[in-house]
Amino acid sequence: MSSPANDPRQPSTAKPYKPSPVAPQDLPIDYSGFIAVICGVFGAMFRYKICSWLAIIFSAQSLANMRNMENDLKQISMAMMFGIMGLMTNYLGVGPRGSKKT
Amino acid sequence: MAKHSFSLSPLSSFILPRGDTLFYLIALFSILSLLIHHLSPVSAESRHFEGFDADEIDDFGDSDEPISAAKHIPPPPPTTTLSVSDPIESHHGPPPPSADPTSQVTSQPSDPKPASTSFEVWDEDEFEGIPQSPPSDSPLITESDTAASAESDPSLKLEPESEPESPKSISSYTVEIVCVSFLIMFVINYFTGKKENEKLALAWASKFATKDSIFDKNFSLLGVGETDDSPLLLKEGQNVFKFYASGRRFCQGLLATMELKSRHDLISRLYNMVVPCKDEITFEVYMNDDAMDHVVVAVAKKKLAKTMQKETTDLQRFASLVSPPSGKKWIAEELAVVAESKEVAGDMLNETVLDQVFGDKAYEKFGKGFISMHFSDQHLGSHKKMLVFKFALPDAKNMADMTRLVALVPYYIDLIGRYKLSSHARTKTDGARMKVAQEIYKELQNARQEALQRKKAEQRKKGEEAEAKLSAEALRKKEAKERARQMKKAMPKMKMTRTG
Repeated sequence: MSSPANDPRQPSTAKPYKPSPVAPQDLPIDYSGFIAVICGVFGAMFRYKICSWLAIIFSAQSLANMRNMENDLKQISMAMMFGIMGLMTNYLGVGPRGSKKT
Repeated sequence: MAKHSFSLSPLSSFILPRGDTLFYLIALFSILSLLIHHLSPVSAESRHFEGFDADEIDDFGDSDEPISAAKHIPPPPPTTTLSVSDPIESHHGPPPPSADPTSQVTSQPSDPKPASTSFEVWDEDEFEGIPQSPPSDSPLITESDTAASAESDPSLKLEPESEPESPKSISSYTVEIVCVSFLIMFVINYFTGKKENEKLALAWASKFATKDSIFDKNFSLLGVGETDDSPLLLKEGQNVFKFYASGRRFCQGLLATMELKSRHDLISRLYNMVVPCKDEITFEVYMNDDAMDHVVVAVAKKKLAKTMQKETTDLQRFASLVSPPSGKKWIAEELAVVAESKEVAGDMLNETVLDQVFGDKAYEKFGKGFISMHFSDQHLGSHKKMLVFKFALPDAKNMADMTRLVALVPYYIDLIGRYKLSSHARTKTDGARMKVAQEIYKELQNARQEALQRKKAEQRKKGEEAEAKLSAEALRKKEAKERARQMKKAMPKMKMTRTG
């Protein structure tokens, strides 16, 4: 199965690598980024702590899997912002102080 | 070895915003302003309780028991007396005076100033004109039946003592503890997983792409750069690595893409524990146009071969499942062949290949990592003539296990580069390609006609709308012009002749 005696290499035909341009619509869908934005919005609007934490976790996942910096960075940063904003409103914001009833 | 390519363009787009970046920044500022607006009551809260002692506020607001509404009701004038009427009232006259002195309800006069126990600091001017409630815990209005029972039963007391709020236990921070620990684990896993993937990719490169290795002997240019010292691998993501080789007969180049498990991502790692997946390497060989005859063949495991035949366009159009020939050595039982003709399948899966990889015995030993291979001169995309090999990657320690699989790549480049179809098979394949070309042409024509019809319909609609918009006078004028034109046409043609 080894190549024949004559050398198969042809330096004259060598072409340097050119990465094929990928259109933004052809990129795989960033599900984690999308979930992060949804959770972030819910966490900030309805004051669900768990949603804000999930937004942070999913945006971290999206950041870890980021391939195309140009296209992905905006969605990830939006998700992060919503997540952090949700956490800030949950922990630092003034909410109705519920009184315990016996 | 791995190359990182970072782009600075997002940074410049933030400094000089334009287009969608501007909208993005506006959104960012609006969210920040919303956040500041939301948090502003925190600072304002302290102003509402000016002059109150901090401890008193806590006791006042955070008491466990409900505060009686009576405490907040301003006291009535001191002279007022209320008498509780008898349950059965007579309409004939005034009710008889009650003998029981306890039934008389009197309002107690309130102190002009609250007791020192209630509030330490009391500003006269701050609460000017506000009725002051008494410090006593007794209700303002007492009824005969409740007064007696309240003394005997302590549970019915309206104003129990408020207790200071106890510090929250660890169990109340469960969500926070879980999420923060998960994030810490995620970060640790990111770095360890990233290292693992890089180690695996480099193990493959050092085995097959270094000096005197199989690719070095077959290609004159290795790596993603133009010079010799350029990196061998291009890191496209944390789990995607690419290797490029060029400068060989019969082909323009080869691109190997390693798609590894998402070891750097903890969520994906947990998911892969439930749904296992493999580390894969895909070789795409771009053949020269003159070096490849009409060949459409695919070899894969039976289940995958069927799905490929249904989903891949060229296999769908030209190829079908090939039944194993009788009385001839053939591929392992687990594998299936999808080809344009039996002749092509037989020529591609010759004895050499069967002995080395695809035969029953060889496949058990060396074919563990084989997933699929697909050769076609009718590929969709920038390169029409392509050979695609897909293999599973072994561990970094056992990289030598896939040597025979990798050796298939240069072998098939040479085999297909030299391969020529017989005249009988050639006529068949030519006919099939002509048929497909005609179908594609018809589809294009239909699409063009539909587009033209759409355009015409749109123009007609626009014309009708324009006519509808025209006023009645304009319509009248238009009609008059039309009539005049018709009259001109109807009039007999007269010839002017000169007599002389």
